[in-house]
Amino acid sequence: MPIVTALYLLYLAAPIALLAIGSVGQSWTNSLLPSGLTAGWYGQLWADASFRRAFTVSLTVCAATCAVTALIGVPLAYAIYGASRRGVRAAARVLFLLPVAAPPLVLGFGFILVFSSDSLPFLGSGWLLVAGHVVSTLPYLMQTLVSDMRHLDLVTLETAAESLGAGFRQRLVGIVIPSLRQSLSSGLIMVAALSIGEFQMSNLIAGFLSRPYPVVLLQAFYGATGFACAGTMLLLLLAVLSALASASAGRGLPSSKGTPS
Amino acid sequence: MSVVVDSLAFRYPAAGAGLDGVSLDVVPGEFCAVIGPSGCGKSTLLKLIAGFLSPAAGQIRIAGTDMTGVPTRLRNLGIVFQNYALFPHMTALENVAYPLKLRGVGRAERLRRAGQALERTRLSGLADRHPRQLSGGQQQRVALARALVFAPGALLLDEPLSALDAAHRAAMRDEIRAVQREHGIATLHVTHDQEEALSIADKVAVMRDGALLQLASPQELYDRPADRFVAGFVGHANLFDGTVRGPDLVETAIGPLACATGGQPAGTSVTLLARPEAVRTDPPDDAVNRFAGTLVRDRFLGSLRRYDLAVPGGTILGETLSRADIRSVQIPPECLRILPA
Repeated sequence: MPIVTALYLLYLAAPIALLAIGSVGQSWTNSLLPSGLTAGWYGQLWADASFRRAFTVSLTVCAATCAVTALIGVPLAYAIYGASRRGVRAAARVLFLLPVAAPPLVLGFGFILVFSSDSLPFLGSGWLLVAGHVVSTLPYLMQTLVSDMRHLDLVTLETAAESLGAGFRQRLVGIVIPSLRQSLSSGLIMVAALSIGEFQMSNLIAGFLSRPYPVVLLQAFYGATGFACAGTMLLLLLAVLSALASASAGRGLPSSKGTPS
Repeated sequence: MSVVVDSLAFRYPAAGAGLDGVSLDVVPGEFCAVIGPSGCGKSTLLKLIAGFLSPAAGQIRIAGTDMTGVPTRLRNLGIVFQNYALFPHMTALENVAYPLKLRGVGRAERLRRAGQALERTRLSGLADRHPRQLSGGQQQRVALARALVFAPGALLLDEPLSALDAAHRAAMRDEIRAVQREHGIATLHVTHDQEEALSIADKVAVMRDGALLQLASPQELYDRPADRFVAGFVGHANLFDGTVRGPDLVETAIGPLACATGGQPAGTSVTLLARPEAVRTDPPDDAVNRFAGTLVRDRFLGSLRRYDLAVPGGTILGETLSRADIRSVQIPPECLRILPA
């Protein structure tokens, strides 16, 4: 068992290690490892305006996606959790399955069809990109939230709070949201990682000036290997950073406890 | 402050089960247990009093005020839930302080009062722990402290001991009673455990199929049950169906039994109740209501021995301290009680 685990981890880490090595290697052609050491590729990346812009776009889209999914996801998950009607539950199941049933490519084509018309000419705008990311990541956040609500038995917690004298707003701020901090932050990590790495749909619906990082990165692979490696390493960094940021944002929610005055 | 329930009725739309005109009252300081088999309506009664459900008819008065239709949060009731329902993101102290915060009590004052409440339930050392770091019994005590800290009008306990193991249950039972006495608060305790109800309550309400069958002290309930169901539900019982044959004689499946029939006319169908501890072992041969038989079950329970003696026409359940062999028993006529069949 330990051998299998070790092999698996090696398999997982090897490409990342090779990318890291490649990103600081001077030249890498037809050899197992690159030769020479340089930070030049990162310098070139930084100097490239389209990469810099894409970096900012990705972070902005990711932050906006996290904010919108949290704002929509919490009340929606709460409604689904509290719903006793069979129709609502069935709709929720469909929603949860949406990313599996409708791949980003399908969603992307749909967006092109709808938003390239004269009446809805929004294709290529940054907000449409955010909307696309929200559609494809929301189910993941919802699933995490709803299962946590079930696990916590939120209804009983709310009933208890109500019996102690809490009104709806007091329950929402003092009990519901603080109880969901853990699942909200872990759900947002997933949303952030998915948004940062999203390529298929973004490639279809992003405008020239609103291209996120993965879309621009593709072009790097037509150039020098070192440049492509440095670009990919940056994407990895971007994913880790946004995951950390969204996690801390989730934890930073009001922790309204019994003590603060 | 008292809890008065007057002709309360409720129907679950789908199941059809519910509550049919239940009336009971719990005076300040009184501990009332509600027992009955599952589906009897005891939890529905608690939910109606708490305000989680709205009655179809009837009235709920808490401390003399009509609370029917008033939202739960305004009823000023302390409720302890089956699974405690402690807020996982708050410490024990914060949980207890929460109802005071909702009532606008200042931070220093509410922490002082919450600390006192925890002290009363012997938990002051664990004030900074989160619920997940507490044992079931400790969580129970936090829930009790939280339900009492704001001096509610009444205390409702919804099977609060069912999640504890047997050893802790008995200790917690005494503790709940002690804290309840200390607060002098009217308490309604819903439980399926009749032993728990008898040992803790001042009076016990027995329910079945949405109706209140009997409301009486534990002793009265045991000694003078209202009907066959109550007799069988509360404690162990020998129940013999029979027909009155004479002024002091009832014909049953195990034979004629001499007992006071209370002037019931001959031919009336009745049920006779004899508690197992009243059954005497190895009586003299000429004793009345003497039955010889064979021992079919013999359970040694430490402080007593419970046995089934098979006699022609049925079985007699008895309890004794004797460890000798049992071949015959007597049901003393004065220990037989007539119930409506």
